[in-house]
Amino acid sequence: MRHVGAIAGRELRSLFVSPVAYAVLTLFSVLAGFFFLLSVQGFSEAINYYQQIGQFEALRGINLNNQLIGPFIQVMWIVFLFLIPGITMGLFAMEKTNGTEELLMTSPLTMWELVLGKYLAAAAFVTLLILMMGFFPSLLFLDGDTPVLGLLFGGFDLADPDPEGLQTLAGLLGLWLLGLTYAAVGTFASSVTRNQLVAFFLALALLLVLWLLSVVADLGVAEGAAGTATGLASVLTWLSTSDHFDKLARGLIDTRDLAYFGFMIGAFLILTKTAVESVRWR
Amino acid sequence: MIEADGITKRYGDFVAVDDVSFTAEAGEVVGFLGPNGAGKTTTMRILTGFLPATDGTARIAGHDIFSDPLAARRAVGYLPETPPLYPEMDVTGYLTYVAKIKDVPRGQRKAAVESATERCGLADVHRRVIGSLSKGYRQRVGIAQAIVHDPKVLILDEPTVGLDPIQIREIRHLIADLADPEKAAHTIVLSTHILAEVEAICRRVIMIHNGKKVLDQSMAELTEAGESLEDMFARIILREEEAA
Repeated sequence: MRHVGAIAGRELRSLFVSPVAYAVLTLFSVLAGFFFLLSVQGFSEAINYYQQIGQFEALRGINLNNQLIGPFIQVMWIVFLFLIPGITMGLFAMEKTNGTEELLMTSPLTMWELVLGKYLAAAAFVTLLILMMGFFPSLLFLDGDTPVLGLLFGGFDLADPDPEGLQTLAGLLGLWLLGLTYAAVGTFASSVTRNQLVAFFLALALLLVLWLLSVVADLGVAEGAAGTATGLASVLTWLSTSDHFDKLARGLIDTRDLAYFGFMIGAFLILTKTAVESVRWR
Repeated sequence: MIEADGITKRYGDFVAVDDVSFTAEAGEVVGFLGPNGAGKTTTMRILTGFLPATDGTARIAGHDIFSDPLAARRAVGYLPETPPLYPEMDVTGYLTYVAKIKDVPRGQRKAAVESATERCGLADVHRRVIGSLSKGYRQRVGIAQAIVHDPKVLILDEPTVGLDPIQIREIRHLIADLADPEKAAHTIVLSTHILAEVEAICRRVIMIHNGKKVLDQSMAELTEAGESLEDMFARIILREEEAA
């Protein structure tokens, strides 16, 4: 496994001398900021609304985690959906167009070193995105007299004005795992084609299908004969990323959800290894 | 050294390489000749471990390419038809990366990169980005990556293509130097279309046609026969084509 670092390091350096990394980072910070503002706006509108209609019971139930940070993290999946395939599309496709595939395959590397090296580079980038994104909810942890919070509450005192640190971290953990899973799917998409654009759209399609599986299950499309139907529906729901992610984004850590992300990452990395090796069978 | 033993590569019904065997000793420069599509590149790709053979095997410096692939690959330097370069990297960064994945020990990497840079005449451009280099320089970077880990066996697929006459002469000197039995005594297999090149640097000629080995003779024997390489190439290929 000693070559993993060399491969990941080269990949990251190449990513950061290309415009792709900077385009993604710029887009990501703009979109994260935009969605954060939307979440803040939604939150203060909810407060105003309950105040106007005099629903003080409901007001007491509002807190920053459930009504602001949670929704913010939840909506960020859609940003990941489009940006992570952009990061991973070149991982293997570029080696094929450069002709450097021949260098890698004739070097004393194992397939796992190659696949993990590539994946770790993408994973490091996802981690950077999460750290950048953490900036926004961390604003809410500033002291109560800051202008940010003043803007938020419009002078109204919440029963529970302080956000919960651990719940926020759990949400970010969920988004991080989602990003790592997306990176694994993107790595696989890049390994089956030499065209980066194809890799991008293939990853996007796979991720959308993975997300929508639970919707399919809910719609009852999976329902057929009484006995097997519920089985199929529950398998589809389990395979779908959405339910697992939603729970984590709300701050609920369940080892079954963690296991799901571990399973998906492992499965797509095994598929990637098979695809990369297949050069040798042809 | 290289011992190829009945290498065969089939794609469905098509036989790209048909039962090719040969050996090449340390310090020997073997020229791989043959028309386009003869199976030269496929044979080289099998020897370097890029493709598996359908049948047969080979040993590189004593390591079987299928049962001991990592050791065999460590002993080979390979320049593919298109040099495997990352256009966004600088020359030294690229060669250092290659040294890492080719298992050059950490303490020796810097010296290995400097020596490959020096030998391939890249000292002036070592900090330039590869994408900005001329074709000749890129070809030299390709050769530098093949020798950076000081492999016992070098496999070069058209090493002088795209170079100007001066550069070609330099590369020929470099190849002769790498094979010098007094020094490193590398085993070198190179493919080329330039017959003069074979006459200038190869000690042995292997000719491949339609995947089969049709000639395997030392340069000395060929010169003794008095026929020019060009005439012989035409004679063998045409004879084969009539037979087919």
